[in-house]
Amino acid sequence: MASTWRFAWRNIWRQPRRSILTMLAIAFGAALLVFSIGLQLGQYDLMIQNSIRIYHGLIQVQKQGYLDEPKMRSSIANISRLASELRQQTGISAIAARANGFALVSSEMRTYGTMIVGVQPEYEQQVSSLPGVIKDGRYLSSETASEIVIGRSLARNMQLKVGDELTILGSGRDGSVAATIIPVVGIYESGSRELDRNLLQMPLQVFQDVFNMDQHGHAIVVYEKDVKQLETMRHQFQQLVSTYDDLVILSWDEIQPGIRQAIELDYSSGWLMYIVLVAIITFSILNTFLMSVLERTREFGIMLALGYTPFNISRLVMLEVLLLTLLGLAVGTLIGVAINYYFYIYGLTFSGMEEMGKLYNIPATLTPQMSLKSIFLGPAVILVFTLITALYPATRIRKLQPVEAMHSI
Amino acid sequence: MNYMGSLLFSLAWRNLWRNRRRTLVILFAIVLGVWAMIFTAAFMRGMSQQVLEDTINNLTGHIQIHASQYLDDPVIDHRFQLLDEALFESLNNPQIKQISSRLRVPAVIASERESTGLIMVGIDPENESGISFLEDSIVEGRYLTDPGDSGIIIGRKLAERLETRLGKRIVLMSQDKDNKITDRGFRIVGLFDTQLEALEKGFVFTGLETSEELLGIKGEVSEISILLYDINQVDVIAAELQQQNPQLDVKTWSQLEPVSKLIVDLYENFHLIWHLIVFLAMGFGIVNTLLMSVFERTREFGLFQSLGLKPGFIMGQVWVESVLLLSIGLLAGNLFAWLSVLATGEGIDVSAFAQGMELAHLSNIIPFVIISKDLILANSVVIILGMLTSLYPAWHASRLVPADAITRV
Amino acid sequence: MSTVVSCKHVNKIYRQGLIEVRALTDINLDIEAGDFICLSGPSGSGKSTLLNMIGGLDSPTSGEIIVDGQRVDQMNKSALAELRLHKIGFVFQAYNLIPVLTARENVEMVMQMQGDSKDYRKQHSLAILREVGLEGMEDRKPSELSGGQQQRVAVARAIVDKPCLVLADEPTANLDSVNADNLLKLMRDMAEQHEMTFIISTHDPLVMQRAKRLIKLHDGQIVENNKQN
Repeated sequence: MASTWRFAWRNIWRQPRRSILTMLAIAFGAALLVFSIGLQLGQYDLMIQNSIRIYHGLIQVQKQGYLDEPKMRSSIANISRLASELRQQTGISAIAARANGFALVSSEMRTYGTMIVGVQPEYEQQVSSLPGVIKDGRYLSSETASEIVIGRSLARNMQLKVGDELTILGSGRDGSVAATIIPVVGIYESGSRELDRNLLQMPLQVFQDVFNMDQHGHAIVVYEKDVKQLETMRHQFQQLVSTYDDLVILSWDEIQPGIRQAIELDYSSGWLMYIVLVAIITFSILNTFLMSVLERTREFGIMLALGYTPFNISRLVMLEVLLLTLLGLAVGTLIGVAINYYFYIYGLTFSGMEEMGKLYNIPATLTPQMSLKSIFLGPAVILVFTLITALYPATRIRKLQPVEAMHSI
Repeated sequence: MNYMGSLLFSLAWRNLWRNRRRTLVILFAIVLGVWAMIFTAAFMRGMSQQVLEDTINNLTGHIQIHASQYLDDPVIDHRFQLLDEALFESLNNPQIKQISSRLRVPAVIASERESTGLIMVGIDPENESGISFLEDSIVEGRYLTDPGDSGIIIGRKLAERLETRLGKRIVLMSQDKDNKITDRGFRIVGLFDTQLEALEKGFVFTGLETSEELLGIKGEVSEISILLYDINQVDVIAAELQQQNPQLDVKTWSQLEPVSKLIVDLYENFHLIWHLIVFLAMGFGIVNTLLMSVFERTREFGLFQSLGLKPGFIMGQVWVESVLLLSIGLLAGNLFAWLSVLATGEGIDVSAFAQGMELAHLSNIIPFVIISKDLILANSVVIILGMLTSLYPAWHASRLVPADAITRV
Repeated sequence: MSTVVSCKHVNKIYRQGLIEVRALTDINLDIEAGDFICLSGPSGSGKSTLLNMIGGLDSPTSGEIIVDGQRVDQMNKSALAELRLHKIGFVFQAYNLIPVLTARENVEMVMQMQGDSKDYRKQHSLAILREVGLEGMEDRKPSELSGGQQQRVAVARAIVDKPCLVLADEPTANLDSVNADNLLKLMRDMAEQHEMTFIISTHDPLVMQRAKRLIKLHDGQIVENNKQN
């Protein structure tokens, strides 16, 4: 069969200019798709990573219904013990318990209503990047220390600095009044507007005391860097908490559906554009395939007379298309990968990225994904489209009559 | 050179249809490309207009005026005299269509069961009508009647969250002008429903005078929102207002909502990039097809030269042929894009991605909008780049040496 | 009688890769106005090359070619186009006509190039097509005409604007003998009626009989140059 390949190869180079133009069209499409898909997937990775990393974790254990209606009463009893059991049973240490509440928070000058979260400082540092972005002061020192950390925007609005005291006024789990005065030990700056403006953290046990929570809490956050572990972990945790009533395992995208939807929306609209683009490219090269069959009618006639079957000839033509496409795809994919590799190393940024980044919770520099999927998905789609296109001229060959064909010009 | 022109034109036209199938194939690619350009442009225009409209509707207006520190620290302390003479004078500008003044302060809302933090807005219902979304979004109950109206309008989602409903009472707490906590009971007279959840959960509205009473002030506001007749005048008018009221802070919508501005700008820039990509995708095909038809007609071009036609005429013939091809493609592409936009009616419903859309500052129905500027851009890209690209095959045709051209069989 | 074409020491060497082919060697030739010349010789003898060079479709490696007092070998492309348009008509062996144009449009095209008015073009092209015996076929496309008819259209087009010189390269090669003879008669009639010079390259003996002068080429050299009756 080697000779058929060689035959096809030589046929391609009978019209070098035409073949090169066709190849360039394919290469252009491939390079563009490799670049854009790589960039898209890279951006999604960042969005997911950040959403997981900064606060929400990969999965959370919550009371059924708490996600939709975060009421204080929908709580998990003995939450610290459950968290430590889970740590032991899974061997994962990045598991932290939290309790959430709402309260009026007053400084000397100002009063705001904000979210207050009780955390386990030791474990919180493993599940969230927030403890790592303290810009003034320090993070919470222990689970029992009466102290609080606050976001940069809220601190500015409340005219607070490290060392100042805050008055907290809210209602406890049982409806009783919850009030305390507590010193600010740290101010964090995460870059996420929501967190920086609307969140305070204090040690879990202190929180439970202030809000009359007993040993209750609202969420156990589990962090894992590798998103692919999601299903395995979800399953594992499902098993572990099955003895408890009403506990559910929630994934990052159930907790933050906006991020997943933004990704899906972007991905599907991206693909609409890619498909249209690939269709335009295939139509614009269909003529090349068509001509290379039509102008060789006489030659095919001779081949038929020599004993080739129309099938042999169709296969030859398909082989030519395949070779030409593969060549174009190879060139295009290489270019695309080279561009992506460059940005992979140096990062891609453009004006306005910073605001965009805050919006979607990603850094101001984009890094393309370098994976088999991001590299070969686009070229594979182009290959399928061109091969389907090539069927049209190939079918015309079946209709050839040797004598007629030999006499045509 | 009229006689040459008509000859050129009729030769080009007839040659175009000599190989009908080939012309139709490349025409299809061009039509598809032009359709993709304009349809996508209409989608992007719809998106960016929607972003702009939502931004302006969501209490922003075209221009806002605040006390100088308000934006940094949006509390009652930073208010200004509404009836200040200079201010009054400067707002008497024929370019200004509508003005609404508001008291806008952070507050805490509490129902019998739940409480949360949000923004309380005191409005003059008559002035507010038409400048923001509120009046058109009332789904239950009524709009406010006058500045002294003591009822409150809250979002439907907020009502669910607070487990309350129309006709029930809620309590609002805020800081008055002396930084003392003040509170007051309100009856819910209306529920509003918008596509943006943050708005529904984060804002409540009452009469301007009622809110003044609560906060202990008179004749002072925290915000003036201005709607112009022509949004393009926004920078000029804002600069004028700022100059006339140096003690106040005048901001345009794009300064207030940089993310919206960024999104609008990104779409704007993406138009041209997308057009260029699509053109490149079809450009290879156009050149290849024209080259094929040129090389097929080598003998004919030789004949033209032997008849005394100059190389320029032959070049012109091929070029006109290609321009005709492009023009037909443009015509059909524009027509199909226009029909597609008609077929989509009100727009496409993307509510499946509601929370994702909200991240991108978008509501759930995206209309397709064709404006002349976008049409001109898409058509110019095709015709100008198409004309330039066609020079290559045309130049090839004119370069063929006559003796060669004629003797070639 | 004045000289229409004059060749002085014309040489033509083709290069094909490493191989040099001497197509013409030291051609010296004067052709007078109103002559009807047959250029004969076996294939490869240089007939077409000589004809193409007189018509300015090809240029000599060395030597001078003068047509109607102008140095053809020194002209640029657009001057050559001008010369061909006004002074020279061509008839080729085959594929003479523009396939997308009708018989009349093919004839009119040359007139159109010269800026003739529409009415004149119509009148004149119809007249000349009648003259070559194609009355009633004016609006047919080349593909709807026989080989002989196509060649008649080509002749009509070549002479329609009265060039001083008509070059015909094997015009009868694709025709049967009856059609070939008719075409030759037509050309000779036209030459006499319109006082034009014809140079016809051929190896058809029929053409040689009808020529006033016979020039024979062999291996790129003139071996015979005789006046006939």
